Amino acid sequence: MELRLDPDLETFRTQVRAFIDRVLPADMKERQRRKVANNAAVPDLLQWMRILDDHGRAVPHWPEEFGGCGWSPMQLFIFNEELYKADAPEFDWGGTHMLGPVLYTYGSDYLKDKFLPMIREGATMWAQGFSEPGSGSDLASLRTSADLVDGKYIVNGQKIWTSGAAHADWGFFLVRTDKSVKPQRGISFLIIKMDTPGITVRQIPQINGEAHLCEVFLDNVEVPADQLIGEPGMGWTYAKFLLEHERTTSSFIYWSKRELARAKDIARGETMDGRRVADDPAFRARFARAEADLLALEWSVLRVLAHEEFDAPEAAAASVLKIRGSELQQEITMLQVDAMGAKSLRFFDAAPVPPPAPTDVWPDYAPGRTTVALINRAATIYGGSKQIQKNILAKLAFGL
Amino acid sequence: MDFAKSDIQAMLLDSADRLLSENADVEYWRHQRGGALGFDEARWARFAELGWLALPVPEAAGGLDGSIEDIALLNIALGKALATEPYVSTVVLADHVLKQAADQLRAMELLGDIAGGTLRIALAHQENGAHPLGVEARGTVARASGDGYVLSGAKIMALDAPSAGQFIISARIEGEEGTGLFLVPADAAGLSIEPYALIDGTRAADLAFADVALPAGALLVGGNRGAAVLREAIDRASIALMAQAVGAMEAANKVCGAYVQERKQFGTAIGSFQAIQHIMADNFIAAHQARSMLYHALANADQDEATRSAALSAARLVIGEAGQVVSRNGIQVHGGYGLTDEYAIGHYFRRLMCIEKQYGDLIQHGERFGDSIFG
Ligand SMILES: Cc1cc2nc3c(=O)[nH]c(=O)nc-3n(C[C@H](O)[C@H](O)[C@H](O)COP(=O)(O)OP(=O)(O)OC[C@H]3O[C@@H](n4cnc5c(N)ncnc54)[C@H](O)[C@@H]3O)c2cc1C
Repeated sequence: MELRLDPDLETFRTQVRAFIDRVLPADMKERQRRKVANNAAVPDLLQWMRILDDHGRAVPHWPEEFGGCGWSPMQLFIFNEELYKADAPEFDWGGTHMLGPVLYTYGSDYLKDKFLPMIREGATMWAQGFSEPGSGSDLASLRTSADLVDGKYIVNGQKIWTSGAAHADWGFFLVRTDKSVKPQRGISFLIIKMDTPGITVRQIPQINGEAHLCEVFLDNVEVPADQLIGEPGMGWTYAKFLLEHERTTSSFIYWSKRELARAKDIARGETMDGRRVADDPAFRARFARAEADLLALEWSVLRVLAHEEFDAPEAAAASVLKIRGSELQQEITMLQVDAMGAKSLRFFDAAPVPPPAPTDVWPDYAPGRTTVALINRAATIYGGSKQIQKNILAKLAFGL
Repeated sequence: MDFAKSDIQAMLLDSADRLLSENADVEYWRHQRGGALGFDEARWARFAELGWLALPVPEAAGGLDGSIEDIALLNIALGKALATEPYVSTVVLADHVLKQAADQLRAMELLGDIAGGTLRIALAHQENGAHPLGVEARGTVARASGDGYVLSGAKIMALDAPSAGQFIISARIEGEEGTGLFLVPADAAGLSIEPYALIDGTRAADLAFADVALPAGALLVGGNRGAAVLREAIDRASIALMAQAVGAMEAANKVCGAYVQERKQFGTAIGSFQAIQHIMADNFIAAHQARSMLYHALANADQDEATRSAALSAARLVIGEAGQVVSRNGIQVHGGYGLTDEYAIGHYFRRLMCIEKQYGDLIQHGERFGDSIFG
């Protein structure tokens, strides 16, 4: 057993840091650091993809033939960690981390040639159209139908919680192509252009003042049949592949590390009668706990990355990352909020960029913390809720 | 000990039920939040007609001379309906300060105006960087000048300030010990007000005083008693807010209970899953214990300061935590719907978060209660 980091990786980290420092525009970094909204503005996000792509770094985790970097899991880990630390805009996860791997694994040459470069070059924003009003945790019950008529799929139905759909150019959807078989067997994976006639998008006002979540209504939407990925009826298998492909992503480890650092800055900046919040024993205890939990999470991520062998299925370890990762996101964002006390209750509109100029009372860390903390209640809901994850975990680890 | 409601209390709750229940829904809340003040002035006038604004006002000033228990019961109803009216600021907090004012004749007049619905008063005490449970003014100073005073300094997070006609301002009086409480009209020259909304749709403001000239009569409570009076007033406000939290939690539990019976996944109501049943049981426990602690705080409301504040902080600890449990779990059982502004649970969540942090938060009340245990 050698638990120390390979010295070569430290060299790699230094190079990554220098690279990001060189290519990340200062104004973009500043917008990203100070944004009130939970989600990055689309233009920055796409622009950043283009910059990364110019340097061959937009999709480092893909196979090299499609533009990947051929890095080890540890190198990818370090690259991501440094991106977050530097306040770089996020990836367009839907394209780069969800659809991309499904496409290069199961897609036809036509689909690969058409869409992989679009994703890599930051030419398009992607939406994930899986959930429906009646089909959340029970996704396999989805009802949006796609019927093959004269070489085209005619799609009818409704999706909900489709993040970013209002700004997406394309979406990847789960649709029912066969009603006669067992629910999981009748689902297919279809790429749909969001401006196709018959699609209506409604933005859903959220508890944090944003409206990133959307409803997507599909009314006789015509989709070329060659936009169906792989085989009809295999959509469920591909969707499971997609959700399980990036086992460590759901830990949000890089994000949580950055946000805990920000929480500490707030605790140093806010005072109560001359004493820093950071010096308050009750806050210290919470910070100690969050920091320790985050260390535990990081080691758990590294164990999955290294494919450590243990006497439970690997998916059990992935569930641990999702459950603890989401709980920690919530605790860390609430630490930021709590460290600001009653000041955290002020509502800041997520729309204006840049946010209001900082003052002594309202430093630049103030706008946005509560916006993000409120929507983070979703972390234990999306991508397999905490209850569903625990059901899975109990089964995997103990056969219950 | 008797938990039965008195006749007045029964009447109060009956009127509350009638007025508030017709407007306790998402559409109403969203509409109010979008308005100028965050609440409906016509309904404030109805509060006056029903005598709610006269509840703690002495009979001499045309009031009902209600008890803190009466106030708590009404506030449970306000919390249940997520009412955003500035009831606590004006009727609980300001009333208490006015009742301790040196010039009682003037105070009775003001109390009458409050009872009639024509005057709203907000407290502006909190300063940036001051301990949330502190009652001494630090950076706001009143300097004697001629017959009156000149006020300078700044306040933050003055709850309900944007709809108030007058403010109660805590200030150090130059050359004197302690903290004085001043009455300052909202349109005073040299006073600037930066209003903003809070996440629950109520309003607050930051206030800055640039040599605001005040007459001698503006001093309501002198430096020798100001901090003690402010402490009492804030403690009463805290009780009213806790009552609102209890009402909000109990209502949220009802909403969630109905939701988990209606919502179906995997061909059955999600309420049939044991994981959900246990969450709902936890929520019931939390709200039940919260109401118990409201009673504990009420039972000690008229005790000496040490006993009263220990009971209050213990209650704020239990109730603050219960509010988080109920509302966070409430969102969890709602799934994605819990994150939208279009379902009630997200509104209860934000209100409960606000209450937890006003007049001291969980951490500070925990510390204060801890100090009271070990001295
Ligand atoms: C911020 C956010 C972003 C999202 N982005 C997307 C997106 O881009 N694309 C997309 O397709 N979807 C997206 N989703 C949808 C998300 O995946 C669903 O919300 C999730 O699957 C839960 O479904 P639901 O909301 O219908 O909740 P429900 O399934 O109705 O669950 C309600 C409650 O019941 C519990 N429950 C359900 N079944 C069981 C069971 N068997 N045992 C115990 N408890 C159970 C759940 O844990 C939850 O607490 C997003 C959701 C959110 C909140």
